[in-house]
Amino acid sequence: MAQKKPFSKDIIKLDNVETVVNEIVLKLKKDVLEKLRLNGAVVGISGGIDSSVCLALSAMAFGPEKVQGIMMPERDSNPESEKLALKLAGKFGVRAIKEEITSALAGFECYTRRDEAVKRVFTEYDPNIYKMKIGIKQTGLFSSMPPIFSLTIVDPEGNQKEKILPAREYLQIVAASNFKQRTRMSMLYYHAESLHYAVIGTPNKHEQEQGFFVKYGDGGADVMPIGNLYKTQVYQLAEYLGVPQEIIERTPTTDTYSAEQTQEEFFYQLPFDLMDRYWYGFENGYSPKEVADVMGETEERVAALFRGFERKRRTTEYLRMHPIRDYYGV
Amino acid sequence: MDNIKIDASTIREKVKTYINQAVHVDKEKIRNDSLIFKEGFIDSMGFILLVTFLEEEFGIKTSDADLLEENFESINAISDFVGRKTEQ
Repeated sequence: MAQKKPFSKDIIKLDNVETVVNEIVLKLKKDVLEKLRLNGAVVGISGGIDSSVCLALSAMAFGPEKVQGIMMPERDSNPESEKLALKLAGKFGVRAIKEEITSALAGFECYTRRDEAVKRVFTEYDPNIYKMKIGIKQTGLFSSMPPIFSLTIVDPEGNQKEKILPAREYLQIVAASNFKQRTRMSMLYYHAESLHYAVIGTPNKHEQEQGFFVKYGDGGADVMPIGNLYKTQVYQLAEYLGVPQEIIERTPTTDTYSAEQTQEEFFYQLPFDLMDRYWYGFENGYSPKEVADVMGETEERVAALFRGFERKRRTTEYLRMHPIRDYYGV
Repeated sequence: MDNIKIDASTIREKVKTYINQAVHVDKEKIRNDSLIFKEGFIDSMGFILLVTFLEEEFGIKTSDADLLEENFESINAISDFVGRKTEQ
């Protein structure tokens, strides 16, 4: 067995990005054309780094003429996302179309179901006046306590009010908001099936393994070319592939709630470069001490962080599972 | 709901009953001093449900400052925390 490399801050950095890109592109092409027997790729583009890299990889794998980029904004989307997505598609010579999903979401009562729950927490909440978002309370990523969620409403002057979210309202807001990702998935499959193309899933390694995706939403796809890449590596690919600099420099957001919210604030609680290193140490069996020494942390805090990672992986396992069907005739 | 004065053993019993029905493990394994997070009995959704249960059952309000491991790490810790909150 190969000797494990000593843990270092640069351990995740890809030494040869070109080789990695070529390997992914080759496999993507083989998987879609030979395994799935489909003719091209449909990619939902949000103006974020992950979908941008997936679009660029798809353009390399199938040729830009066999890739369809789809922007799917809704009422709460940041208009900047659409601008960036268009710039991206232009850069890689890919056709981009826009599918507004607000009316589909209104049909599901996504907004009213969500706002009804928000109103139970803040009676003064009026979606025409306030913006809202869910965030993680800092119970301490380095403690053994699981996170707890808070709800924030923001008035037009930018004043914020925040409360811990009770279970029922938390579940209802998340369930209602998940209509967004599931509606996008349906739209992607409409286009994919009508073109006989594959749906390219855009989640990265963290989203997959920590469960930061919606089952049968953004987790619903035929292939996930960056599903095994750390965010640091996704950024390396983006630079190499020539993804527009504004996209690379943009802070990753959820673009799900009406108020602006970063992914770090909503879910990860750590900047991605730190998260990458800790997660690498955790999943590759480095001891908390080995990681703590390099990261300038205490062994105890890193051990607690690793316990949190383990909990996250365990509690989100069901999201990654296929429907269980071995009930008879096994 | 206003805070209700309630004796310590009743609080402990209610918390214990709740934890026992909320976890998906052998109830025998959970003692009053078991570390429910460290030992993996309660996950994130379980914690959210627990806080909601405490607020509804005992009429307390959990603030940011209360979200400390020492207040929630075991049945004993939770019971003491609820006891302190209901006295406020």
